Amino acid sequence: MIRTFVLLLSGMWAMAWAQASTNFERRLAVDPHGTVEITNVSGKIDVRGWDRSEVEVRGDVGSGVQRVDVTTDHGRTDVRVIAPNHAGGGIDTDLHIRVPHDSQLEISTVTAEVEIAEVEGAQMLRSVSGTIKSEIYEKNAEIKTVSGDVVVRGHRKDTSMHITTISGNIRIDRAAGDLDATTVSGDMTVRLDPSRNVRVRTTSGDLGFEGRLAKGASLNAETVSGDLTVRAIPEAGIVYEVGTFSGDIKDCMGVEAERVSRYAPGKRLTGSQGAAGPDESQVRLKTMSGDVELCDKS
Amino acid sequence: MSGERQRISSLRDLPRDIAPPRDLWQGIEARIAAEPRGVAAKGGAEWARRAQGNRWRILAAAAVVAALAFGIWIGRTVLPVPGKPVTTATGLSASNAGAGAPEALHAALVMDPKYAQERAALLRSLEAKIAALPPDSRAKVMASLQTIQDSIHDLEAALGRDPSNALLQELLVNTYQDEMRVLTAVHEAGNAEGI
Repeated sequence: MIRTFVLLLSGMWAMAWAQASTNFERRLAVDPHGTVEITNVSGKIDVRGWDRSEVEVRGDVGSGVQRVDVTTDHGRTDVRVIAPNHAGGGIDTDLHIRVPHDSQLEISTVTAEVEIAEVEGAQMLRSVSGTIKSEIYEKNAEIKTVSGDVVVRGHRKDTSMHITTISGNIRIDRAAGDLDATTVSGDMTVRLDPSRNVRVRTTSGDLGFEGRLAKGASLNAETVSGDLTVRAIPEAGIVYEVGTFSGDIKDCMGVEAERVSRYAPGKRLTGSQGAAGPDESQVRLKTMSGDVELCDKS
Repeated sequence: MSGERQRISSLRDLPRDIAPPRDLWQGIEARIAAEPRGVAAKGGAEWARRAQGNRWRILAAAAVVAALAFGIWIGRTVLPVPGKPVTTATGLSASNAGAGAPEALHAALVMDPKYAQERAALLRSLEAKIAALPPDSRAKVMASLQTIQDSIHDLEAALGRDPSNALLQELLVNTYQDEMRVLTAVHEAGNAEGI
């Protein structure tokens, strides 16, 4: 009896789901080096690059959605999920989009999860609470979220990344080049190989950096209360300056941190390794109450 | 011998005057006559030195009072604190001042009137913008703003113990910038709700 009831309920749910979302499919010829702009409030945005000069959009469209517009004009392709204002629900739309490899991407969402792979153009991605996972190549990436996590995977090619989130975590793997990243309460883990100009900051989250420092590179990492763990291997010499007000400093260079003053708290560690000159990398680490660990060896 | 020597049996037997073997008075008189000018000159220099010292002390005290007055004036004029602070349900205030925060420090850090105006404007619309966020984001943003406020408070408390600490000053300025960045991001995200 109970089994029948459960089966009946499952069947009703499946029918309701089938009615709630409708399939959508559209394909357009586009500029292979153009810009693709995608707007979807909630659901999922999955973008993959391919060899064709076409944009293909497939989707499960929520019942509350009015329509999905796909247009292209003068190298700019627009994929927009249109939901009426104050739509009560049913606007979750999963989009699976194929774009030319060299496309630039501009994506805006509120809660949708964003996943990007094999797209080599510049990326400008914005989300409120959705997680953003992206694969990047040589072109710039600008990523902003409020509470969503950011996961970036690179190809060890020089690029420039600008990533900000309020409470989300940031994780960057196998990227290279310049990075400016901040999060307030999220944790940040960065692996760059090699890095050039890096500015990373958290307020309360822990911050970890690992990777090679190119010749003349600079690494500035800062937290208020989060711990800092930095393993930075310089291609040439390295000059480092570490400061903490009430935390501890550890290093693998065999240098002892010293007290800033006899009368006030605070420790600092300064020094250099290797040949001095313009190829020297500079590492500056600062925190108020976090502990710091610095190592210049792998 | 015994005739020359009189037997002295009482004080009365002693002569009333005895002339000194040599007259010292002339030398003493000459020194007294010469001394008044020297002593007066010495005393005058001492007095002048003291007077100059007092003048510096008065000037220094006046400078301290002026600096304090200027700091308080800046704190009260630049920061929209004292009149009607713009407060929100998030607990943030347009005053930018944590409890017990050194006012002069705030005056120095948040001197730019444009900054103060923009911050006050963002705070006014903060509640509406936060209300427009998805519920899970709302809670996280509130927690993050609280984290920033706590950090500012901690940094200011630490600066209270070590006011000249450059590391703390830099972290505090950067944390204020973080707060501004969060307020701006919330504002943009609130607008993005209607994308």
